[in-house]
This record gives sequence, structure tokens and C-alpha cells, in this order.
Amino acid sequence: MRSNPVLRVIGEIVLILIALLFLYPLFLMIINSFKSFQEVMTDVIALPKSWSFANYEYVWKYIDYPRLFLNNFVVTVLGLAGIILVSSIAAYKLSRTKSRASAIIYFLCIMPMLIPFQSIMLTVMKTASFLHLSDSTWGLGLLYWGFGAPLAVFIYHGFVKGIPREIDESATIDGASGFRLFFSVIFPLLKSVTTTIIIIDVMWIWNDFLLPLLMVNGSPSTKTLTLAAYTFVGQYTSDWQYAMTAMVLAVLPSIIVFIFLQKYIVKGVVAGAVKG
Amino acid sequence: MKNRSRKLSEKFEFGLFTLPVLICVAVAFYIPFVLTVRYSLTKWNGISKNPEFIGFDNFKQIFTGDANFSAASWFTVKYAILYIILVNVIAIVLAVILDSKLKSKSFLRAAFFIPYILSLVIVGFIWKFIFMQGFESLGNSTGWAFFGKSWLGEPGLAFISVLFVSIWQSVGFYLVIYIAGLQSIPDDMKEAAVMDGAGPFRRFFSITLPLLAPSITISVFMALTNSIKVFDVILSLTGGGPGGTTYSVAYDIYRDTFQNNLYGYGTAKALVLFVAVLIITVVQLTIFKRREVES
Repeated sequence: MRSNPVLRVIGEIVLILIALLFLYPLFLMIINSFKSFQEVMTDVIALPKSWSFANYEYVWKYIDYPRLFLNNFVVTVLGLAGIILVSSIAAYKLSRTKSRASAIIYFLCIMPMLIPFQSIMLTVMKTASFLHLSDSTWGLGLLYWGFGAPLAVFIYHGFVKGIPREIDESATIDGASGFRLFFSVIFPLLKSVTTTIIIIDVMWIWNDFLLPLLMVNGSPSTKTLTLAAYTFVGQYTSDWQYAMTAMVLAVLPSIIVFIFLQKYIVKGVVAGAVKG
Repeated sequence: MKNRSRKLSEKFEFGLFTLPVLICVAVAFYIPFVLTVRYSLTKWNGISKNPEFIGFDNFKQIFTGDANFSAASWFTVKYAILYIILVNVIAIVLAVILDSKLKSKSFLRAAFFIPYILSLVIVGFIWKFIFMQGFESLGNSTGWAFFGKSWLGEPGLAFISVLFVSIWQSVGFYLVIYIAGLQSIPDDMKEAAVMDGAGPFRRFFSITLPLLAPSITISVFMALTNSIKVFDVILSLTGGGPGGTTYSVAYDIYRDTFQNNLYGYGTAKALVLFVAVLIITVVQLTIFKRREVES
């Protein structure tokens, strides 16, 4: 195998062809988003006759894309900021304190990883509406604090163990304590795990479907990207050209971010899986 | 005196650091969970003010007279087993190939990973389009009967389609875990095996595969937890059809709760799902723990 370079080149070409075939559905999605209704109906695999952005203009306005993008952005950033803040301080304290209360609280924090979301979806809705978190982008973002906390606490807790206590002690002697000690000394040391958590949580919150469906589906102004794409396709079941345009608009941000941050994303996902 | 006030302030600080996360987790999980347990013992359509307490009747109904639930459970078990095996085998094979010295390695890895960054609901729609419209055109231009089949319209085929699309979306994730696992195998071990005259298959089964065990543990665990909760992709790809044959347990709960407005009954099913997930996870963790101790 290793002696024959010709075979190796052929093997590699075959692999590249397989990879392109693997991505062919995405290619079909993109080319059909530029076609007219008739063109989609007559031939899906042909290239569009002209690269017209008419579908994009229509869908962009109809679903109010900038608004959806902003909603997704607010939910993701708010959710993420809360998960990081709330989980890192708790995990730090829990990891440093050796007491029964600390062990119990740690258990309470990570135990929910075993609860499937579908087991509590109805009552999450009830709880959220009781707390006036329903039908609001901000409310949805806040809810993610709790849903993201178990994994984040788990990952941070394991990592803090590896940071020597002497660092805390010397900072205490220098007069730093409480939150100041944490944010100026400890938090910067957590940078690598924080990146991991950011990557897995952004992918999750940005693409999440069921929780937004239950929480913010009431009004077009609070919808998220995935949710709007879902409702849109439901209304345009036979107008595939519009449906594909909505799909492209929904997935484009993820693909662009992935192309630029590929290395970090793959690394973060692996690290998250190995630690989780 | 000084000591006591220090202890007090330590306790105060402990509370300050841990209370926020406790509140968040309680709102997201514990309060809803307690409510789920409560509603599961009632008959309630969500409209009437007070749910009617009926004891364990919902659970009796689930296990004795619910054809939908048993069909959905059977679907989920079949799906989970096939998904776990296929996605891991395909990912390992791909990882072994991609781990060799290839020029286009990073392109290939990225290509297989891309579907994983897309939302499952959207992936379901894209494939629905491919199966319904794309296959027709592909059939016309190739003449292959394969494309003429009703991939979403026949029960057996629709099952394969759901399985296939799930694997397509997530195989890249398992692939990168296995690539990371392979990279942690020291090169001199592989070289030693080559020196000893072991062929590629022998090398794979007696060196690579055993050393890949930690990655396999992680991947099987992830594949299992994800596949018993399968929902999004079915919702957009088949909508449970044809003839309700592709409902998973999670989707069945969704149907009863939000489409049939059986709030009490739906939450009882939700609780059954929770117990099933709990048992499976605990069993799996004990098996893996024991294996780790042994090795």
C-alpha cells in the first residue's frame, strides 16, 4: 500500500469524490434556492438558468431576517454569558470546599444531565410562564442558564481541581478575596475550558429547536432562525424554491463561522465530548 | 470571636457563589420535574382549571392499552441499536482512512463534519426535499430504480431514511472523536507491529481497535443518549408518517401532550421515558466503570 504512489493518489481522489457526494445535498439546496418554481419542478439537479436573488429578496423580507438574526444573537449571547458566569463561580467554590453541603450541591447541579428534555417540556413551559419568561427572547436566553449549567459545572469542576490551591492562598495574602479573587486570578486560568464550553453551547443554543418552539413561537417578532425556517416551510410546502432559500439563510451563519473557526470548533467539540 | 466571624463570612461567600446556579437549575429542572410527577397522576386537558387526580391510571394505560406507545418504543429501540452500531462502525473506518498520510486530510475532515453544525430540523427538511424532488430528477437522469422508490412513503423505507439522515448529520462528530483517539496512539507501537510483519487488518484488530477503547466508550455513550431522545429530524423529515410508523418515544410524548392535549397522560409517558433513560445510563456507567478498572 505504502509502496505504490499511483494507488495512493487514486485512493485519495476516490475519497474526495465520496466527500463531495456527501455534501451534494447541501449543494442541491443552494442551487435550488436560486431557481424559479418551474425550474425546481422540471429539474432539481440542473444548475439555475440565471443566478437571480429574487427568492432571497422575497424570503428575507417575509421572515424579517435581520430581526430573526438579532433574536438568535440575543438568545445565544445572553444564554452563554449566564451559563459561563453562574457555572464557573459555583464550580470553583464547590471544587474548593470540602463539605457535605458542597458534595450535595454538586450532585444537584450535575444530576439533571440525566433528565431528557422531553420528560419535562410541558412543565418547563408552565414554570416559565409562571415566572413571566414566556414569549420573550430575553426569557428564552435566561432559561438556557439552567439548561446549560449541569454540563458546564461538571467540566469546570474537573478543571478547577487541577489548579493548585497555593494560587488562591497567595492571592488572599495580597488582599484579594471573594469575587475579585475569582475574576482576576482564577477565571483567566480557566480560559481553555471556557472556550470549549462556549463552542459546544453556541452550537447547541444557536440551532436549538424544541425549547424555542415551546417558548417563543407565539409571535413572529420573538422567533429564532431555526424556528422561523420551520414555520416558513410549513406554510410553503410545495414552494420548494422558497423553502430552500429559507434553509440557506438559516444555515449560512453556521457554515461561515465554521469555515473560519474550523480548527477551534473541532477541537472544542472533541474536548467537550472527552470531558463530558 | 474573630474565628467565628471568619467562618460566617466563608459560609456567606459559599452561598453567594452557589445560590445562582441552584436557582437556575431548579427553574430549569427540579421544579418542572416535581410538576411532571404531579401531573402524571392526573387527567387533564390543560383547559380545565383543576387537574383531576386519578392515581396510577395513566401508567396502567401506557403499559397495557397503548398501541402508539409500544409501536414508538419498538421504533426507538430498533433505531437506537442500528444507529449506535452503524454510526460508530462508519466513523471508525473513516477515521482510520483519514488518519493515514493524506494531502486533503483537513478538507475531508471538514467536509464530513459540516452537517453536524446544522440544526437537525433543517437537515430533515433538506433531505425531505432531496427524497421528494431530488430523487425524481436523479432517477430521470440515471434511470436507476433506486431513486424511483418511495423513500418517505413506505414504512420500511421511511425507517431507513430516518436512520440514514441521522447518520449523515452526525457521523462527522464521531469521526473527529475517533481521529483524536487514533492520534493518541503512539506511532512506535504501529511501527513495531509493521516490523513484526502484521498486515493492515491484523494491525487494525489487534493494535488499533483495543487502544481505541476509550473513544469507543465515549462515542457509544453519546450515540445511545442521543438516539433514545430522537425527535427533531423525524418531525421535519417524515412527520411521523407514513401511517404513524416513524414515531419515536419522544415524538409520541410530544404528540400526546401538544397535539392531543392529553397533558396528564403525556407527562406520565414523559416520566416513563425519564426512568428508562436513567436505568440505561446507570447500567452503562457501571459497565464502563468496571471495564476501566479491569484494564
